[in-house]
Amino acid sequence: MIDRLRFVVMETWESLTRNATMQAAAISTACIALILLGGASMALYKLDAAAQSLPSQFEANVFLKMSTTREQAMQLKTQLEAMPEIERVALTPREVAWEQEKQKLAGEVNLADLPNPLPDKLTVRVRDPAMLPAVSQRIAQSPFVEEVIDSRKELQTVLELARLVRWIGLGAGGLLLLAALILIYNTVRLTIFSRQREVRVMALLGATLRSIRLPFVLEGMTQGVVGGALAATLVLFVAALISDYFVRQWPFLKDMPPGLPPYVLMVGLPAMGALIGGLCAWWATRRHVHI
Amino acid sequence: MVELKQVSVVYGEQHALRRVSLTVEKGEFVFLVGATGAGKSTLFKLLYGELRPTEGEVWVLGQPLHQIKSRELPYLRRRMGIVPQDYPLLPRKTVWENIAYGLRAIGYNESAVRQRVAQVLALVGLNEQARQMPSQLSGGEAQRAAIARAIANHPPLLIADEPTANLDPDTSWEIIELLMRINLRGATVIVSTHNRAIVDRACQRVVAMDRGQIISDVPHGGYPIELDRLHATVML
Repeated sequence: MIDRLRFVVMETWESLTRNATMQAAAISTACIALILLGGASMALYKLDAAAQSLPSQFEANVFLKMSTTREQAMQLKTQLEAMPEIERVALTPREVAWEQEKQKLAGEVNLADLPNPLPDKLTVRVRDPAMLPAVSQRIAQSPFVEEVIDSRKELQTVLELARLVRWIGLGAGGLLLLAALILIYNTVRLTIFSRQREVRVMALLGATLRSIRLPFVLEGMTQGVVGGALAATLVLFVAALISDYFVRQWPFLKDMPPGLPPYVLMVGLPAMGALIGGLCAWWATRRHVHI
Repeated sequence: MVELKQVSVVYGEQHALRRVSLTVEKGEFVFLVGATGAGKSTLFKLLYGELRPTEGEVWVLGQPLHQIKSRELPYLRRRMGIVPQDYPLLPRKTVWENIAYGLRAIGYNESAVRQRVAQVLALVGLNEQARQMPSQLSGGEAQRAAIARAIANHPPLLIADEPTANLDPDTSWEIIELLMRINLRGATVIVSTHNRAIVDRACQRVVAMDRGQIISDVPHGGYPIELDRLHATVML
């Protein structure tokens, strides 16, 4: 069994080292395709998490002016609750909000000695999300209100980003994946032609079709695995580099749950590469290796 | 051992073989002779299953090759030694590796490979050339190495397609002597050639082919006179 395995591995190695340029082309195309797919998957996962972590599209956050007293805040809350479009209003007192913020940033910044900069906040939930913009606009006219943040805008931004990433990532990634499939197929096909003597000798000496085809399939799988591993490494490296930039551009991303765990990419992309590489090579051997 | 019953092979509208019947018994040594295009290679391809007959039956080592399943063919080929004309040795491997390659490809373990390779190298007289590359071998040595690879698995049937092509007369005779030695050890041997001198000298069974048909079958004869007449007609 070990001798058999050694023979197959040696045959695969010989195939891989015979056409170095073609191998490099197949591996790099598989790598680029998987970078796009891996990057898109990572971004989509993150954006999906962002969408889920945002308040419901039924809600708006109403930040009151610092000068607004608690009585005025309660008065406004009562007024809003009386509106037919509004289902529920919750008041978050500034002390509570500040306490929550201090706890959240406990490990990073010491806020203990600072004065509370936060205003009181009303969380308004409407019965119909379509009414949210109009309701937000009306609330904003109140003299006690500093700012109304309609979470639908953020949600819209996230969803638009997700759509863009999906189109670019899956579209371009899909096209490149197709190119990778063809290149791996072609590389294995060329290897088969360059090893025609070996194939013929093995066939005439009585090697089974499966054992003749196996080294070529392993060659395709190796191309996919190497391409996938390179892609995963590059995606994780670049993701780490640009993560801070995106947080600076869209501060709400900071509160998002963590993205795709690195091991998912480190295992998933090489596995996907192996699958597509193996399938292409199997297809090539089906067409070009006969006994 | 080998039996062809009314076998025809048709490519398009051209008959490569036309209702050929042939029986080769166990332990026989048979020369298959004929000019280029006579059908020798087609007949050989039928014998090792690379080609299926358009009609008729091909029986080799008790197996019906005309209807054998593809997955069963390798196991039948392991009982044949095949010396093809077009694909001799692998150029990037030494003589030793060339012979070992075939054994490894059919699943022999390393100790068995070492034992078998040493045996056949001694049999064909290539011990000293074991570590040489094919490009360093003479034509006769390369052919002996190809024969060694074919018989490494001790097959009961050896098929050699033009093993003396492009060899000088002395070397050709050395190859035929080697094949006759293998025959004396029990293997049935079928050799195609158009080398008249060695056929006359070997005094074995000679089957002559022309235009896809067997035109003579002589048990212990020389080069058939029928072929000489045909060649003369063509020359005229």
